[in-house]
Amino acid sequence: EVAGAPGAPLDVHCQDANKDYVIVTWKQPAVDGGSAILGYFVDRCEVGTTHWAQCNDTPVKFARFPVTGLVEGRSYVFRVRAVNKAGMSHPSRVSEPVAAMDPADRTRKGASAPWTGQIIVTEEEPVEGVVPGRPRDLTVIEATKNYVVLSWKPPGDKGHEGVMYYVEKSYCFRVRCCNSAGVGEPSDPTEATTVGDKLDIPSAPGR
Amino acid sequence: NMSKAKKFTVTEGKHAKFRCYVTGKPKPEIVWKKNGEIIVPSRRHLIFEDREGYYTLKVLYCKQQDTGLYICAASNALGNTLSAVQLSVKGPPVRFK
Repeated sequence: EVAGAPGAPLDVHCQDANKDYVIVTWKQPAVDGGSAILGYFVDRCEVGTTHWAQCNDTPVKFARFPVTGLVEGRSYVFRVRAVNKAGMSHPSRVSEPVAAMDPADRTRKGASAPWTGQIIVTEEEPVEGVVPGRPRDLTVIEATKNYVVLSWKPPGDKGHEGVMYYVEKSYCFRVRCCNSAGVGEPSDPTEATTVGDKLDIPSAPGR
Repeated sequence: NMSKAKKFTVTEGKHAKFRCYVTGKPKPEIVWKKNGEIIVPSRRHLIFEDREGYYTLKVLYCKQQDTGLYICAASNALGNTLSAVQLSVKGPPVRFK
């Protein structure tokens, strides 16, 4: 990690994919690290391999880049890095995979209308003791005034098949005064206030 | 043709699990609906793809109000289709002493 480097670019998408090129777009990082972003590097990786290749030799200024030199019919994922005078950001999250083929070929190739089978309903006994454990290693990866990026690992004890996550947030508030002479010291913060919904589980009969 | 939808009954307070196998390419978008309304995942309505690839809706701790017509609707660029079942929730068994 380079001090003063920008945050990672966000929201990498592919537009107008065809057999000759794929246009990769992204959003600039919310954090520039303290000095202006000089440009971006786009990397590509063929799906099924782990080899990342840098697509441009010099940083591109605009958040949009046509990647050429792809092999027709193969699928690729993309990521973007931002650079300023302090250094290079972490790579962005990876884009969805996109195939280097013309749109008409893409829809023709093995495409089929949806089919749904018979729905089977089964009754299940609510079982005690299958509640999943605590999510682990919750950390704030990035925080700006507009969003917070959280990361965590699944619990060791997952309970049954599907685990869903609920993110509950709690806020503290504090207030400061300002006038033409400057901004004063903040008040003591309020207690954390949690925002969340409740699970409506009926209690066992006869209790 | 909803009048021919298969009927299932579950006991109040138990979980009802709906499983539907879906094929299609590109991978279809799936929505579950109850009486025409899209079911939004919540703490009592779990929606997931299970290990065998079945689209699954689980209604936890069924109440009488969960009775209704449940639909699994699938769509992609080439078309759309659906499967339906009628669920009814019966009261818990009464014990005689």
